[in-house]
Amino acid sequence: MADTFQFRLVTPTGVLFDGAVEQVTAVGPLGEFGVLPLHTNFITSIAPGVVTLKLGEANFNEYLLAGGLAEVKDGVMTILALEAEAPGAVDSIAAAPVVLEAEQRLAHMSEFDPAYADAVQALALARARAQINQLRRAPH
Amino acid sequence: MATLKAIRRRIASVKSTQQITRAMKLVAAARLRRAQEALLNARPYHEAFKRVSDSLLGSAPDALKPPEDAGNVRLLVVVTSDRGLCGGYNTNVIRMAEETMREATAAGREVRLFAIGRKGFDHFRRIRANVVGDRVNNSPRLATVALARDVAARMLTDFRSGTVAEAGVIYASFRSALSQRPTYEQLLPVAPPPASAGVSAAPATDYLIEPSAAELVPVVMRGYVEAAIFHALLEAEASEYGAKMTAMESATNNAVDMIARLTLEMNRARQAQITRELMEIVGGAEALRG
Repeated sequence: MADTFQFRLVTPTGVLFDGAVEQVTAVGPLGEFGVLPLHTNFITSIAPGVVTLKLGEANFNEYLLAGGLAEVKDGVMTILALEAEAPGAVDSIAAAPVVLEAEQRLAHMSEFDPAYADAVQALALARARAQINQLRRAPH
Repeated sequence: MATLKAIRRRIASVKSTQQITRAMKLVAAARLRRAQEALLNARPYHEAFKRVSDSLLGSAPDALKPPEDAGNVRLLVVVTSDRGLCGGYNTNVIRMAEETMREATAAGREVRLFAIGRKGFDHFRRIRANVVGDRVNNSPRLATVALARDVAARMLTDFRSGTVAEAGVIYASFRSALSQRPTYEQLLPVAPPPASAGVSAAPATDYLIEPSAAELVPVVMRGYVEAAIFHALLEAEASEYGAKMTAMESATNNAVDMIARLTLEMNRARQAQITRELMEIVGGAEALRG
């Protein structure tokens, strides 16, 4: 059995990761999911959160994604994200007031507002930023 | 003939203009390099996104159509620059936009404009076109994900609610620093992938789709529009700096030519003055002797 598979993390500003991984864990609309080698062809959307790449024993790589799409095709996984950042670059303290702001905006919004889905996304992203340290599982 | 002093002043002024245009050219060249790099970096994203959206949207043609009661409006997003001094760049884009507007009007469509960049916005307001939105003063960078996202969200909202039946973007597509071609790209309704019609269509990949195709199609559609607009912004940004660099280079060359011409004129004027003074001295000496 193949131990690793190819994974690419692609954003409009460049390819952030392209290489062999053992496992990828990300957050989809139905919750967290993992992809191992020989996964079937698969498309899903990605919710704002952390994607974890297992490169080897106790060797992890992580990125914070602002949502996007994941595709597995012929054993190659691609995540397309509009924005991605390394957790080390995330300022979780600066994100705290953003969470409050997003929560307040959402509280005054109708569910039928066209911007509602965006507001939910913004809140999820802000929360992921603020809690980045709890969401990470790699030793740091 | 202009006096020596006037010519000297003129040369000094052309020289300082030349310094400015040369500096602007260097700045434009540096920004062009950055913009080209960004354009190159974005390519894998577009290619990968196109592949995914083609395979997914091909399976859901109904979702691509505008709502039944859609109006008869075409929304045009026109990308120009905020600042001038970039040759015919803005003029060309605006001309293309006006042609597209005329075509649409002839086809019985109402045109609404969304202006990105001050030059286009000012122009369309001057000719009293129907400008429904604008994003001006996009400094320091035009091509940002946030801007693309914003415009795409607006476009999709109008499209889904049936306010607009068609939406497209007009921008200058970057070919080289010397050549930028105005381009009209229709984004909505999404054109069905060519594979579904062609004979040589590749067999569609059988995907497991989560949560469901119906829920995923809007997400992909939105991503598709965002990616296309981001791409247009990147192209426009590179084109703007390419055009600016070329314009400033020819301005600098013009200044060099002008300085050479004025220097010649100045020398001639100086020589004439010396000759005149000599003549006066000789004349004076002659008068004394006589």
